[in-house]
Amino acid sequence: MFTSRVLIFLQVLVFTIVSTVGTAHAAVISNSDHFVQTERQQQLAKVESLFARDVVQQQLVTLGVSPADAMARAAALSPAELTMLAQHMDELPAGGILGVLGVVLVVLIVLELLDVTNVFSGL
Amino acid sequence: MTLPTCSPVCSSRLRPFLWLALALLAGCTATLPPAPDIPATELSAVPFFAQEDYQCGPAALATVLSWSGVTITTDELNRQVYLPGREGSLQLELVAASRRAQRLPFILTATPQALFTELAAGHPVLVLQNLAISALPQWHYAVVVGYDPQRQRVLLRSGTQERRWESYTRFMASWRRGAYWAMAILPPGQLPASISADSAAIEIARNEPLLAPDTTLQAWEGALARWPDHPDIVFGTANARRQADALPSAAHLYNRLLEHNPAHLAARNNFADLLLHAGCPHAAQAIIAPALATTANLPPAIAATLGSTAADITRRQTVTAAADPDSCLSLTDTAPR
Repeated sequence: MFTSRVLIFLQVLVFTIVSTVGTAHAAVISNSDHFVQTERQQQLAKVESLFARDVVQQQLVTLGVSPADAMARAAALSPAELTMLAQHMDELPAGGILGVLGVVLVVLIVLELLDVTNVFSGL
Repeated sequence: MTLPTCSPVCSSRLRPFLWLALALLAGCTATLPPAPDIPATELSAVPFFAQEDYQCGPAALATVLSWSGVTITTDELNRQVYLPGREGSLQLELVAASRRAQRLPFILTATPQALFTELAAGHPVLVLQNLAISALPQWHYAVVVGYDPQRQRVLLRSGTQERRWESYTRFMASWRRGAYWAMAILPPGQLPASISADSAAIEIARNEPLLAPDTTLQAWEGALARWPDHPDIVFGTANARRQADALPSAAHLYNRLLEHNPAHLAARNNFADLLLHAGCPHAAQAIIAPALATTANLPPAIAATLGSTAADITRRQTVTAAADPDSCLSLTDTAPR
């Protein structure tokens, strides 16, 4: 509860700073302004991504990443990527298999024999 | 955007899904695109990193990164992309790790044609496969390094196998279940063979804020060499050169762009700003003037930036009434250099 209030306060603060200071010194149209989104959209995305960054970092730590690594990993993501991960991390595919277990196995053997899948023909 | 799901499915919920999936798959396999008619290819120079446990993400990423000239170990990449709690790695984290190694991650158009175009150009491609079925996904990353048209099979660096052949149909079915997701990571300054000029500009610009300026400059220069007259590429390269303080060569590109596209207001603005900062307020005024005449129907952001640049120029002109120094001529001269 406390954290979320602090975050809301931060968001308001950042939003205010961004909307008052942001456009004043921008005399160059950068490549990301021109090709990706307007400066204003970018600033809004950045504000949103402050939350998302926090959420993603916590998710990474929950999934077993060390806090220091989680911070570096979140820092390497763009605002859009952070927002995406914050909302959908659980549903996104995580590639990594080397083996299959349980009930799944029987079904997959059938599918394998039907030449539908390629789980067992080696990885 | 629909995303493949990866949630655990318990056995009681399993059966109906599987029959459905089986029925669907039987139909799907028939509609796979025909095997491409390209010469036999094997990219033998692509290194191999054997997968440990569930770490096919770090292994596949190390394969393409190291082919592109990055010195990196799977241990380092484990710390950057592996998620113990998911026993795997997320696509977006592979993308991010590529940037951390100062390589642009190019997500290819999700088509078989893009993959085989890259292969024919000598580029290994990292792919996401679902080795099982959609209802029970088993996600796996591998690197495509070859194709054998005779026997219709695809060569992969995959898991613990350095040279794994998969039949074209099996590979395509598993890759299609991974939504044809494919990523190319190339040596600095190189671009995927299958990418369009428009996408190249967007991809470089999108990654630019998270890369070293030198990395993106090389990418823009590579794009410019391939599409010397594409307005977006010329503009992007000009901005990147300017950021790297290569003012005369940036000015040359702005000149060239405005010569062919006088209505390119962003280029007018940035060129005027460059001239102003190079101590040429009069030349800057001459460049920005035509843009100010047309601000009526502009998006507010561009109009505001143009206004701000124009105000800076006017301010400078009132401080120094003297004419621009002679060195300014070389920046506005349109002769190729």
